[in-house]
Amino acid sequence: MKLGAFLWATGHHIAAWRHPHAHVTAGIDINHYIQLARTAEAAKFDLLFCEDAAGLREANVGIASQTSRSIGFEPISLLSALAVQTSRIGLVSTASTSYNEPYGLARTFLSLDHLSGGRAGWNLVTSASHIEAANFGATGLRPHADRYERAREFAEVVTGLWRDTPGQASGSGHDGQSFSVRDPLDLPPSPQGAPVMVQAGASDVGRDLAARTADVVFTAAQTFEEAKAFYDDLKGRLAAYGREPDDIKIMPGVAPVVAATEAEAQAKYEELQELIPDDVGVALLSSYLSISDLGRYPIDGPLPELPESEGMKSRQALVIEQSRRDNLSIRQLARHFAGARGHWRIVGTPVQIADELQARFEGGAADGFNVMPSYFPGELDAFAALVVPELQRRGLFRTDYEGHTLREHLGLKRPAWT
Amino acid sequence: MHLAVSLLSAAAEAQPGSGLDFAGLARLVQKAETAGLDMVLVADSAPAAGGDGPNGQMPFEATTLLAALATVTSRIGLVAAASTIAHQPYNLARRFASLDIISHGRIGWHAAMAPNSREAANFSRPEGFSPENFRRRAEEYIGIVQGLWRGWDADALLFDQAGGRFHDPEKMRVLDHKGAYFSVRGPLNVARSPQDAPVLVLSGLPEPDLDIAVRMADVILVDEASVERAKARFSDLKRRIAACGRDAHSARVLMTIALDGTTPPTASADSLEELFRSKSCDGFNILIPPQAGAVDNFSDRVLPELRRRGLFRLDYEGTTLRSHLGLAGGGHQ
Repeated sequence: MKLGAFLWATGHHIAAWRHPHAHVTAGIDINHYIQLARTAEAAKFDLLFCEDAAGLREANVGIASQTSRSIGFEPISLLSALAVQTSRIGLVSTASTSYNEPYGLARTFLSLDHLSGGRAGWNLVTSASHIEAANFGATGLRPHADRYERAREFAEVVTGLWRDTPGQASGSGHDGQSFSVRDPLDLPPSPQGAPVMVQAGASDVGRDLAARTADVVFTAAQTFEEAKAFYDDLKGRLAAYGREPDDIKIMPGVAPVVAATEAEAQAKYEELQELIPDDVGVALLSSYLSISDLGRYPIDGPLPELPESEGMKSRQALVIEQSRRDNLSIRQLARHFAGARGHWRIVGTPVQIADELQARFEGGAADGFNVMPSYFPGELDAFAALVVPELQRRGLFRTDYEGHTLREHLGLKRPAWT
Repeated sequence: MHLAVSLLSAAAEAQPGSGLDFAGLARLVQKAETAGLDMVLVADSAPAAGGDGPNGQMPFEATTLLAALATVTSRIGLVAAASTIAHQPYNLARRFASLDIISHGRIGWHAAMAPNSREAANFSRPEGFSPENFRRRAEEYIGIVQGLWRGWDADALLFDQAGGRFHDPEKMRVLDHKGAYFSVRGPLNVARSPQDAPVLVLSGLPEPDLDIAVRMADVILVDEASVERAKARFSDLKRRIAACGRDAHSARVLMTIALDGTTPPTASADSLEELFRSKSCDGFNILIPPQAGAVDNFSDRVLPELRRRGLFRLDYEGTTLRSHLGLAGGGHQ
C-alpha cells in the first residue's frame, strides 16, 4: 500500500485553523513544514503532496478572511526547502498547465529532482478558477476541452525535455498549437529517469490524459463502488497506450479522524464541525459546484437544479450525487464537504481505519491513499503514530524505505528511454 | 562598504572539473556567511543558451536552489536571477515572496534586463522582442511584481481563532493592474515579505534602462570602470535616484569586480579602498577567480584587511538582507 501525506495550510478541514491544537501560523512558518516532513518520513510515507492555486481560493473577501487559505507557501519553493531537510520521502507538487510554460516548468521540477536526489513529482492540473484566470490576463476561463488539449501538449513537451537533456540523444524542438520550444534543458538528466507524473482530473478527458501520461493518479471517491469503478476504468484505459496496469498507482484521498476509541474520534470530528461558520461552508460548497453563490437558496432546503459545469466537472457530479443519495439539505451538504472537500472520510479507531483502508486496497479499488489530516500537526502525528503501525502489523505497509527515489518507493519503472 | 559574491564564479574553483552538488554549494555559502558578506548572487542561464549559460555547470535552477540554501544558512542574503520571459509576473512574485518567508527575510530578485532571443524561443515567443518592447514590458512586469509584494498590509494577519478572523479584509489590497502587456488582478496568495518586499537587483543596464533602475531598484549592479568614470556614474545615479523622489541612499550601487587571485591581499584591499573612498560605489559584487584557494584568500585575508581599515562591518547587525544593505523596510530587523 502506498501512502501520501497531503499537506494543506493548517489542515484539510475548512475550520482547522480555529482548532486549538492546529498550528495557526502554518502559512508563514517553514519550520512547521520541516517538522511535518520529518514526521511523514519517519513514518515511511511514500511522498508529501502539495496542492496549489495561483490565486485566492475564494472571491468573497469576507468569506476568505474567515479561512486560513488565502496565504501560504508557493509549493515549489516549499518543497525545494524540504528537499534538503529530508532524505527519502517523495516530494510532489501541483503546477498548472494553464498559466505556465513547459520549458520553465520542466526545468524547475528537474531542479527539484536534483536537489532531492530523485524524489520529485509533478501533479499536472488544468486551472478551473476564474480567480486564477484574472491573475494571468485572461478575460475568461478556457472551456474544459481546450484546457485539456493544452495540458496534453504541455505534458508531451515536458516529458520530451526530460528525455532530451544534454548528453542524451536529442530530438528537441517543438512547434505546436500552444507552445514552441527550441533547445534542450541545460540541466543533467533526472536521477530517477524522470520526475514522477501525477494527475488528479477524473473527467473522461482527464482519465484519458492520465492513462496516456501519469504514473500516479489522485482521486476523490466517497464509496467503495465509486472507487472501484474509477480504478477499473482507468486501469482499463492503459492498454490503448501500450501500458500495463501496474504502470499507474491510483491513490484516492482519505480524510481520517483517528483516536484511541471510537467515541473520542467522533468527539474530535464534532469539535471541528462546530467551528465551521455557515457562510464559509456554503461558499466552499458553491466553489465545488462551480456556481457563484449558493447562499441565495434556503440553507435548509435541497440543492437546486444546476447547469453542467465548465469548471471541475467530476467534483460537481460527485456533490450532486451525494445530495440526492442521502437527501441532504444545503447546510448538511456544506458541513459534510467542509470536512474533506468531497474526499472519503473515516472517523474511528486505528483498527477501524486500517480495516477500511485494507478493504479498499485488497478489494481492488486503490493502490494506496493520499492521507488528508484534518488539522496539522496533530492529525498527521496521530495517523503516523496509530494507523501506520497497524498497517505495518498487517503487512500492508513497509517498515522501512527499500530504495531512494520516489519511483523506487512507488514501484514504478524508470522511463523506457533511460 | 557592502559586499556581495557571485556564487558560480566562486563555485568554479571549489570543485574543479566536477559537477557541482548541493553540499558543495552550501559549504561555499556558509563560508560567505561566516565571513559576514551581505549576499551571494546566483545566476540562472535558464533558457538563455541551451547549456552554455552561466550555470551550465550547475544542475539547479536558481529559485529552487535558493529555497534549499535558505534552510542551511541564517544570516546571509540570497539573490537569484530570474528572467521576465521565463515566468508570468504573478508566478514569479509568488515564488520570491515565498522564498523570503522561508529565509526569514533574506531574499532578492535579480531581474535580467537584457532581452535574449534564444530564451524567448524556448517560451513560445520565437519572434522574440524588440529592445524597446522588451524594456517597456520589463518595466511593467517589475511594477506588477513589486505591487503584488505589497498586497497585504504588514498587520493584515490576525490569527484570531476564537473570533474566527484569520485576516483583516480591509488590509488585503487588490492590485487590479491593467497595462499594455499584462493584466493582473491580485492579491498574492502569499503573506507579506518579512522585509516588506524582497530586494530588487538590476544589472547590465544600458542608458534607457537606468531610468527604470533609479525608479525601482534596491540594488544596481554596475560594471567595473576607471575611477574617474565610476565616480561620474555614481554621482549621476545618486542624483537621478533623488530626482525620482527617492532618498539617494534607498538604492545601493555595487560595482562588479573580478579579483585577481594572484594579487596580494593588501593590494586587493587597496584597490577596493580606492574605489570606495573616491565615492564611485556603495560596495562591490566580487567575482572570485576560478583557482584553488581564491575563496579562502578573499575571506581569510582580504576581508580582515578591509575590516582593519574600518571599511567593512565586523558582523551582521540585522537579520534581513535589507538591514545588511542599510535599506528601509521590514519589521524584524
